[in-house]
Amino acid sequence: MVKISNLNLEYSKRFSLSVDNLVIEEGKIFTIIGPNGAGKTTLLNVIAMFDRPQGGRVEVFGRDVSDGKNSLSFRRQMSFVFSQPYLLNKTVYENVLLPLRLRGFADGKRAEEMLDLFKITHLRNDNAALLSQGERHRVTLARAFVSNPKLLLLDEPFSSLDRRYKESLIGDLRGIIRSNRITAIFVTQDHAEALSLADSMAVMKDGKILQQGRPQDIFTKPASKEAADFVGVETIVEGVITKKEENLCFIKAADNILEAVSIYNAGDDVFACIRPEDVVISRHSETTSARNHFKARIVKIEPWGLEYKLNLNCGFDLTASVTKQSIEGLGLKTGQDIFASFKATAIHLIKREGG
Amino acid sequence: MYFILEGFRKGAVLIFGLNSEVLAILKLSLFVSIAATFVAVCIGVPLGSVIAIKKFPLKKIIIALINTGMGLPPVVVGLFVVLFLSRNGPFGFLQWLYTPKGMVLAQVIIATPLITGLSLAAVQSVEPKFYRQILALGATTRQSICVLLKEIRLSVLAAVIAGFGSIISEVGAVMMVGGNIKGQTRVLTTATVLETNMGNFDVAIALGLVLLTMSFIVNLALTFIQQHKVRPNG
Repeated sequence: MVKISNLNLEYSKRFSLSVDNLVIEEGKIFTIIGPNGAGKTTLLNVIAMFDRPQGGRVEVFGRDVSDGKNSLSFRRQMSFVFSQPYLLNKTVYENVLLPLRLRGFADGKRAEEMLDLFKITHLRNDNAALLSQGERHRVTLARAFVSNPKLLLLDEPFSSLDRRYKESLIGDLRGIIRSNRITAIFVTQDHAEALSLADSMAVMKDGKILQQGRPQDIFTKPASKEAADFVGVETIVEGVITKKEENLCFIKAADNILEAVSIYNAGDDVFACIRPEDVVISRHSETTSARNHFKARIVKIEPWGLEYKLNLNCGFDLTASVTKQSIEGLGLKTGQDIFASFKATAIHLIKREGG
Repeated sequence: MYFILEGFRKGAVLIFGLNSEVLAILKLSLFVSIAATFVAVCIGVPLGSVIAIKKFPLKKIIIALINTGMGLPPVVVGLFVVLFLSRNGPFGFLQWLYTPKGMVLAQVIIATPLITGLSLAAVQSVEPKFYRQILALGATTRQSICVLLKEIRLSVLAAVIAGFGSIISEVGAVMMVGGNIKGQTRVLTTATVLETNMGNFDVAIALGLVLLTMSFIVNLALTFIQQHKVRPNG
């Protein structure tokens, strides 16, 4: 188990890391997401004893590693995979064997097993410097696992890989981590990567943990506007709850009234968060069970991964995601008036402090 | 022009005739240069690596001092080594003045900052995360420096070659510390100076050619080591 409490590291005048409380369960994959400069890598460096905090406690498997003492014995229980695959100008086999050599027992059989596990046996005698980027990443992962680590730190290890290769590598990695019950901390900016690996998750920004919990909770119920921004909530509308009937809140946002299911009360200032995939588009006004139904004008249509993103104006800015088939089927064009609907349960409210 | 050509002819006779005096000078030159290079490498490469890797106060000033040392005037080094090794000097009891040991010492002082500075620059040219990655694999500081030096062996051997070059061609310090005593401390450079001053151009040319050939052979050997299994481009 990794437990961090009251961690403080003044990295520079412009950046400091401050983590009040973070608990990572043993044998689980914990993912940290956040934008560039959020402090994700710095946090990994503190855990790996490369950066020493000015205050707080970092406990790994019952041992405080924040004092910087006995770093060697600690590092020999963990593996750290960097975003760039730093390999020696030697064969793949020699690279994978290196951690064992450094520990004084060059177990060739174990290295061969890792080559097999990561499907790089055919590259065994190739110079690692001449491999493709994807192959190099597989070598770094094989090298990370060869010493049978208790803790695995992964710092955006797939950032430079193409999508197809990434998916295959993540699939393999997930299986290997789970079957070996390794505690892994995985840092990424990519939501899909994060969701495909994480048992639990944290969102970081400006050196702080904004939210931690189950991945589905973080993506569907972000705790703050910053977290919502980062986890892909495209529509965040400022409003105030004017009325509440049982669990149904009526939120005045611009000149519109939104209806949302929430625990907050009348008078509370809130952000209403709506995910693009929860918005349904129709050409004509239709009666549905959705509590929110607005006439909207299409401001922009742009490709968005495998789908398209519609920027709509319905008194407030609303973003919807649709398939290419829907755009063609409904004959959607920029400037066209349409109808947008979403359920009251699709709105996630975040309380605004000091409204 | 004739006397220059004649000098080359006589020089060739001296070399291929395996003149005993020339051979003795060659032997001593090789011993002094290789011994001094060896000691300077043993000090300079680890020192340069540690300075490059570690963070400590006054690091920039120390690097500036090393960089200054890379251009130490040999005669100044010679002067101070003579003063320190002279009978009344602090290390006079060693009785190294006018001995090959004293000459090695002077040349170590000349070559060490050069090898240290070049090694330091070579290690600093590696991305800091590379060193961190080696540590993260479970290496001790010593192991990580060894792994790193093997990776940058091209640059490290370039530092060794530069160090050897500065030593083999050096004349001022060895002249002052060794005294150019025939049969004892006379090396190729000091002998060449002496023979030129005496007007024995044939012997001077012969010694010059031997010096060039020796320097070429040693550098050739180092280059072969350096270029062994060089990573191909592309």
